Amino acid sequence: MCQTVRRRGFLKGAGAALAGLPFLSTSMAKAAPSERIRVAHIGCGGMGNQHIRWFSDFPDVETVALCDVDSDRLAGSLKRLTERKPAAKPEAYADFRRILDRKDIDVVTCATPDHWHALVAISAFASGKDVYGEKPLSYSLREGQRMETEMLRHKAVFQLGTQIHAGDNYHRVAEIIRSGALGKIRTVRLWKAGGTKGLGFPPAEKPPAALDWNLWLGPAPYAEYTPVRCHGSFRSFFDYSGGVFADFWCHIADVLFMSLAPARLTSVDARGEVPSDGIADTPKWIDADFAFDGLDVHWTTTPPKVPGAEAMSIGAHFEGANGTLTCDYEHRTIRIGKEAVSDLPDVPVTLPRSPGHQRNFLDAVKSRGLPESNLPYARKMTLPMHLALASFRLKRKLAWDSVKEEVVGDPAANYLLARNSRKPFDW
Amino acid sequence: MKRNSLANVASACALCRASDLSAATLYWNAAHSAMKTHAIPLLLFCLLSRTAFGGPDAGFKPLFNGKDLSGWTMLPGKPPAFSVAEGVIETRPRGGSDLFTTGRFGNFVLRFEYLLSDVGNSGVLIRCDPNDPWRTGVEVQLLAPWTPHRDDLHCTASLYGIVAVTNRPDETTGIWHQMEIACDRKAITVSVDGKLATAANADQAAGLKDKLLSGAIGFQSNHSKEGEFARFRKVEVKDLDAEPAYVQAGFFDADARVRTQAREAAAALGAAMVGPLAGLMGGSDVAARTGARQALFDIAAAASAPQAPAEGRRAVARAFESALRVKPPEPTANYLEWLLGMVEH
Repeated sequence: MCQTVRRRGFLKGAGAALAGLPFLSTSMAKAAPSERIRVAHIGCGGMGNQHIRWFSDFPDVETVALCDVDSDRLAGSLKRLTERKPAAKPEAYADFRRILDRKDIDVVTCATPDHWHALVAISAFASGKDVYGEKPLSYSLREGQRMETEMLRHKAVFQLGTQIHAGDNYHRVAEIIRSGALGKIRTVRLWKAGGTKGLGFPPAEKPPAALDWNLWLGPAPYAEYTPVRCHGSFRSFFDYSGGVFADFWCHIADVLFMSLAPARLTSVDARGEVPSDGIADTPKWIDADFAFDGLDVHWTTTPPKVPGAEAMSIGAHFEGANGTLTCDYEHRTIRIGKEAVSDLPDVPVTLPRSPGHQRNFLDAVKSRGLPESNLPYARKMTLPMHLALASFRLKRKLAWDSVKEEVVGDPAANYLLARNSRKPFDW
Repeated sequence: MKRNSLANVASACALCRASDLSAATLYWNAAHSAMKTHAIPLLLFCLLSRTAFGGPDAGFKPLFNGKDLSGWTMLPGKPPAFSVAEGVIETRPRGGSDLFTTGRFGNFVLRFEYLLSDVGNSGVLIRCDPNDPWRTGVEVQLLAPWTPHRDDLHCTASLYGIVAVTNRPDETTGIWHQMEIACDRKAITVSVDGKLATAANADQAAGLKDKLLSGAIGFQSNHSKEGEFARFRKVEVKDLDAEPAYVQAGFFDADARVRTQAREAAAALGAAMVGPLAGLMGGSDVAARTGARQALFDIAAAASAPQAPAEGRRAVARAFESALRVKPPEPTANYLEWLLGMVEH
């Protein structure tokens, strides 16, 4: 415990109390131990490996633990990390709960499948750790609420891994929209081209020896193993996620929520189809209409018929009284009258730019402030996605009470907003 | 049991005119217990039960009430070309609007009687979207023999321009003939006066490949010269998608469109399909399991809708409860319990 710098350590260390301590004089390249953040990574798939790489490159981060239920993946990540950072000596774990047992870890990053997101985060908060968690925020809407409650209770810091948020483009779009240069925005169109593929009808198999399939399933219903249910394509199944829609919603809804902070959602109406050529059961296509206070938002699986949208596989289109703005992660086009431009120089730069999404989080871990994709923000942004998926599955429009956070007059819809977790993963 | 043999069994069931729900339930129970090895006894059972459960008329429901065109529609924009007198529908004005059922039919047996005037020219549209009937659906031709274009590909009972008749029917005008059109998934057969005239399959006929598998039934307005006419009476249909055993077999079809059709038919049937679908979920055919799982969700979702009738909801809940009482495998049981929770919530 004596060598650890836990969150409470940062709180205390913010002042001059530590200034006189000798280890502050260590090299410039490496932060003093008191300033170092000890990070554990849970989930060693594609995104988990990005986490490991991103975080281990910060001079004030020490990578102390890696975790995956697949020992092959775990070994691969361990090897890649130690090749890049020979000084790193992370412990390897199959069960993330052993990481939470450790008192010398400040931060966990979570890149598990979606159905584990909430449990990992809530358990991490309770064990005094801050969390950088992958999107989407949670598997179910109710889990998102619980995450927020628990984060506040434990005074933890949480950042959703929507790294596009940190880029200049979204900040600039938000400045232009908020400036009023396009007039009042009444309609926003969001899209992501393409949906879930069927994945064929593979028979069940014995799980590979390296994989703890029971722990991978966790709170999800028991299902026989077949490779496509697991690594890489788990989002194709409602047992674990909500398809391509759930994969990309928060990346592009982010620019809408940054720009307009839509409030008082009153209804969600989604339609679409599931694939017919395989075991996948999430939307092959989904279109959804969201009614916010004074703002209509439409999601489509094909680009809307507006200039420039066809060229963007994912995008957002703001329709204002005086003009439109169409953007994706890195580009934007503003159309006022017949003119199409990429910027409005008269709109001042008012939003502070991010130092980078992971850096912003680490700074918040130290300052105990709110990071840019903090949990209350991320939850508001993710909530319409859950309702659209419930509307899609039930094939009916849902009326939403944004104060009580309940579907109005449709108990079955509310039933779908919570997970019925499998024992013993129902803590 | 192979996918095809089960489909054959179900087709046999359909052809033997099993109609009422209790009979269908018996079929299902037999199918369930016989699923693994007893295809042939099951087939025999189905064939024998034709006598046990209904004659050739079983399951047919009138599409025409003999008095007016209730249940039918003519699209606006053209003058109405159909009228009713003395139990007969007649199309006489030339170039008027075609007549379509307001209901949609996927798999069915349609039968009716028709009479053509000397150079009468009409047709029956099946599985069509009334807004674009010839592109989306198929026309079964009705044509007097002494008109041009009367080869086997364009004569009465042909699938007009797509599949020729193999056994040319009696084309005598001025007398009533009986026609029966059976749409059994990708197979379409046309019989006239009790004799098979045309047998087609969408897998073999390129022109059928992109046609809808479900849609309206229609009669084409007279498009012979002025003064000619066609008449129809005793129009009735048997909806095969109302029979759980028939619908269940569709879940095993190799064609995704047929499986989707079966899934939608199962969802429309509701409570009656819960037991059969729960059985499919525990089976070994992955495609059938997947479809059954989705159909069960859709049944629970529809039953739980705020405006759904309470009695329907209770019937679905009871069906889930009885499916659980037969102790399905644990993953199936968990899924059924979860859906029951949604219905009862």
